[in-house]
Amino acid sequence: MTDQTQQLETLTRKEYSAGFVTDIESDSLPPGLNEDVIREISRIKNEPEFLLEWRLKAYRHWLTMDTPIWAHVQYPEVDFQAISYYSAPKKKTDGPKSLDEVDPELLRTYEKLGVPLDERARLAGVAVDAVFDSVSVANTFQDKLAEQGIIFMPLSKAVQEYPELIKQYLGSVVPYQDNYYAALNSAVFSDGSFVYIPKGVRCPMELSTYFRINAANTGQFERTLIIADDDAYVSYLEGCTAPMRDENQLHAAVVELVAMNRAEIKYSTVQNWYPGDENGKGGIYNFVTKRAACRGESSKVSWTQVETGSAITWKYPSVVLQGDNSVGEFYSVAVTNNMQQADTGTKMIHLGKNTSSTIISKGISAGRSQNAYRGLVRMGPNAENARNYTECDSLLMGDRCAAHTFPYIEVKNPTAKVEHEASTSKISEDQLFYCKQRGLDTEDAVSMIVNGFCKQVIRELPMEFAVEAQNLLGLSLEGSVG
Amino acid sequence: MKQLAEIHTAFIERADDVSLLNTPAVNALRQKAKAQFERHGLPGKKQEDWKYTSLWQLGQEQFVYQAVETTLDAETIDRLALVTGSYRLVIVDGVFQPELSRLADLPQGVKLQAMSQLDADIADQLNQQIDLEKPGFNALNTMLFSEGLYLHIANDIQLSQTIELVVVNSGKTANLAVHLRHLVRLENGAKATLIEHYVAVDDAATGLNDIVTEVALAQDAQLEHYKLQQESVTSYHVATMAAHQAEGSHWHNANISLGGKLARNDVHSRLEGEAAHLTMSGLYLVAGDQHVDNHTRIDHSVANTSSDEVYKGVMDEKSHAVFNGKVFVHKDAQKTDANQSNHNLLLSRGCEIDTKPEMEIYADDVKCGHGSTVGQIDMDQLFFLRARGLDEVSARSLLTFAFAVDVLERLPSDEIKQALSTVIEQRLPRGAKV
Repeated sequence: MTDQTQQLETLTRKEYSAGFVTDIESDSLPPGLNEDVIREISRIKNEPEFLLEWRLKAYRHWLTMDTPIWAHVQYPEVDFQAISYYSAPKKKTDGPKSLDEVDPELLRTYEKLGVPLDERARLAGVAVDAVFDSVSVANTFQDKLAEQGIIFMPLSKAVQEYPELIKQYLGSVVPYQDNYYAALNSAVFSDGSFVYIPKGVRCPMELSTYFRINAANTGQFERTLIIADDDAYVSYLEGCTAPMRDENQLHAAVVELVAMNRAEIKYSTVQNWYPGDENGKGGIYNFVTKRAACRGESSKVSWTQVETGSAITWKYPSVVLQGDNSVGEFYSVAVTNNMQQADTGTKMIHLGKNTSSTIISKGISAGRSQNAYRGLVRMGPNAENARNYTECDSLLMGDRCAAHTFPYIEVKNPTAKVEHEASTSKISEDQLFYCKQRGLDTEDAVSMIVNGFCKQVIRELPMEFAVEAQNLLGLSLEGSVG
Repeated sequence: MKQLAEIHTAFIERADDVSLLNTPAVNALRQKAKAQFERHGLPGKKQEDWKYTSLWQLGQEQFVYQAVETTLDAETIDRLALVTGSYRLVIVDGVFQPELSRLADLPQGVKLQAMSQLDADIADQLNQQIDLEKPGFNALNTMLFSEGLYLHIANDIQLSQTIELVVVNSGKTANLAVHLRHLVRLENGAKATLIEHYVAVDDAATGLNDIVTEVALAQDAQLEHYKLQQESVTSYHVATMAAHQAEGSHWHNANISLGGKLARNDVHSRLEGEAAHLTMSGLYLVAGDQHVDNHTRIDHSVANTSSDEVYKGVMDEKSHAVFNGKVFVHKDAQKTDANQSNHNLLLSRGCEIDTKPEMEIYADDVKCGHGSTVGQIDMDQLFFLRARGLDEVSARSLLTFAFAVDVLERLPSDEIKQALSTVIEQRLPRGAKV
């Protein structure tokens, strides 16, 4: 083992700082999945009939499906009967009406995670919808947003208050038949965020959700639905953590975005689920379906993600470019270390005229991890003058990790232009030498080079997130030189 | 409509009639392949490797195995052949033609024969480079091959004269199925140039050519290996070229695909000795309702090997092209240098390209990159030519030619480069307009 590899070993064995368990009473359904469980979830949430019917249809469809095996990841079969499909912090009253009513233990959790849930939130200008296990526990700034007609609330509440919107949009981007985990989510989803930005409104602050899996043996199946009506704009942030546990936990979320005429949605994720220990024990299975529909002309959706956590990531935030002149963007940094496996990328489906998309994907693998980019760029027969530019770069750190690229390009229009390029390399001795010669130690040099490697993506993140993401990168990979 | 089982039975029933290389070892291999084919049959679209290429139509054809006796004269062959003055092995409608071939005066140490003329048992050289278990045509070919080329070059023999294999479909027998297996072995330091040339005399010839070429390059061996496929646009062509490369060897593979209603090429090399180098060049020009599918795979198995791959394609009318290039860098294959690119030119409404350049990398100290583009004729370039007096049709033709011929610049042999350039010029779409 070389010096540098040793350094890598030491430095990559950092502790997972969000790995604490919050001691809080919770109401959970016993593990297991059947129609009764689904009826029970629906009953607890007092859902309208149509939603229960939809859940049951999804469940029945899910039963007919097979687990997908095409991704470049390996894991033991998930026992869906061993998972509890509903877990909620025990309620003292009917539900928190303001921050004062939220369990202080819970608030401390978010404080530890650095979520600006209280006064600091006001300063940071971030409205947070925090999802703890399966339910939304606090939602800040609702009134202020309501003044402009913006709806930002837990999905379960939106179901009660705006059933017609839910009926219209839920499942319209990701239908329950879409894939195995989307079907499962549709059947058992417990909560999530709902955002509606009315016509012509520019959301004055960043909206944010914080997801946290706390209870053991639970799965988290949240569902987010964001609708930006004509000429609206919203920037949405999502962060995730989970306690350290030896067993694997399942997270199968669905995110649906709808952008109408000239609307713009910016969706940023920093995903830091517990990745498991260095031998691959424990960690979150992150099987997520995220898709946006650019329904209106000149609409725009931008996905930015920094993926550092999860034992397994299986995630392809996609954009369906239906409206003419619509724009899709995907900026991603995926870091895998130890035994982590990531199979992530995007799909850009060009249907409308003059649609364009940009994909920038940066993969960093260290330890014995597997990091794959899997993407699809499809130019439909009517996508006149559609354009795509794709860049996938991989950085390898250590001789036992792996990096893969699987880009699918399908073009059915002779006026469409697609460019794809990919490269794989390691941090070169020359770069390191240059930095060290100027007085930086190896760790700082590597950190600087990695940050430079990811810069194109990090700069797309909102300020607060960019700082967090940079810290995460630094923590994960300092000194990792193969 | 034929059901799948029926399609497979038609091939399997044929297995017992093949009499080429009738030795116990070869027969055992054929039986094994038959069992495999009975199990898996032809690949379907569910298989990742066949995602964009359907064999449904091929399956519906009623193939014939008994060719009508045909004789072509020497002038026809001269006209069809790509180069003059080469050694030549001619196969017409699946049958070796000794009187049309030129196999005399081979230097000492060079063995060049039709499979049917072999006196030695070569069973131990069969299926060394292909995986019988892989769903596809490997099993079918192993089960049914009935002719082919055998080339063996001894240590340090450098053959300066080109060898051209001319495989002709005379069009006299409708729906003729031909299964060929070629074996090429170059020993230490040997050097040769081989052209595989598939050509139809009749533009309306029908049938299936199912080919497997196995190449073994020993230490420092060098093979320039060209393939020119000019089948009729009404026939099927499915081919695999698989090589094993030892230390310091160089396989220069060029794959030009012009004909075929459905043409599929699998080109695969395993670089298993240090300093082995691979060059892959490919060009596909399709029009009408042609479908061409090129799958390449490069395995960098040991340290210090390099590969350089360029595939370009031009799609016109309702044609459909598929490209899938995989670069696989195995664990410990440090210092691998791999470069791959695929560029596509779409000329008209209705054509389609599906391209997927893949990398799987399990070593860190590597330099690997790939690029892929899909586009159309550049308006500025077109304007430049028009401003200088070229009409639109000629300008487009010229730009298309320039795009395509770029691949030929990579070829080491001037004579072959020239000959191919002429072939491509004749094959260019004229008047195509987006």
